[in-house]
Amino acid sequence: MEEILLMTSLATKQYLLDSGGYSYNIDRQVYFNRSAKKIFSVDFLEDHEGPEIEQSINEKTDGREWRFYFNSPPPESVKRQVVESLG
Amino acid sequence: MADAGRTIEDRLREEYFQLLPEIRRVAGQLQSEVNYHLLPIANALETYEQLIVKSRVKECESAVDALRRRQEGASFDDDQVARYSLANLKDLAGVRILVFPRQRIIQVDRALREIFGSWTADPVATEEQVLALKYHGFSAASQLISAEYQIVAI
Repeated sequence: MEEILLMTSLATKQYLLDSGGYSYNIDRQVYFNRSAKKIFSVDFLEDHEGPEIEQSINEKTDGREWRFYFNSPPPESVKRQVVESLG
Repeated sequence: MADAGRTIEDRLREEYFQLLPEIRRVAGQLQSEVNYHLLPIANALETYEQLIVKSRVKECESAVDALRRRQEGASFDDDQVARYSLANLKDLAGVRILVFPRQRIIQVDRALREIFGSWTADPVATEEQVLALKYHGFSAASQLISAEYQIVAI
């Protein structure tokens, strides 16, 4: 039963990301959306529930700077490397 | 001064080659121990059955990359150099035990659990099945370098 719930949860999160226009970057293990300028770490997605992720996807930003959704706020050097690797 | 321009990856590569003799020693000893404790099973195999024990040492770049991927965002924080050490990886030294037929896996697993009972289980599994039994822990060869063994069906 637990496994079914976990699979359902993962499928829901994947659906939320796909329908939100997010792509996966395998090198940095993050999901990102260029137009929304948002980056989600896999760790964050694993540790947060669907509704919270959906809220983060829908959150309004000024769209000028990338917004990072990480469990621990990433330091500037990490932000820079992740953004650079997105091309 | 020359140190200032070095990246975290450079420092980790240096650490790797400092650790390498110990990693090799751990891999060699683990392979010997596994071979020794599986000897009764190996000696009782039918002609069509197989039990192969292989050791491996993680390559330098593979180790650095594995440590990087363990960080959130798969990136090192340039300002936290001291935070990172390859010794934190659990599979710098490893042994892979290839078994045929699959039914022998349980027997091999039981024999090794008697020796490595304190090691942590970390099976490789898909949603449908367990692909390999995997354990990691410290052997008598080192308290710094942990090792891993996997039992896989051929």
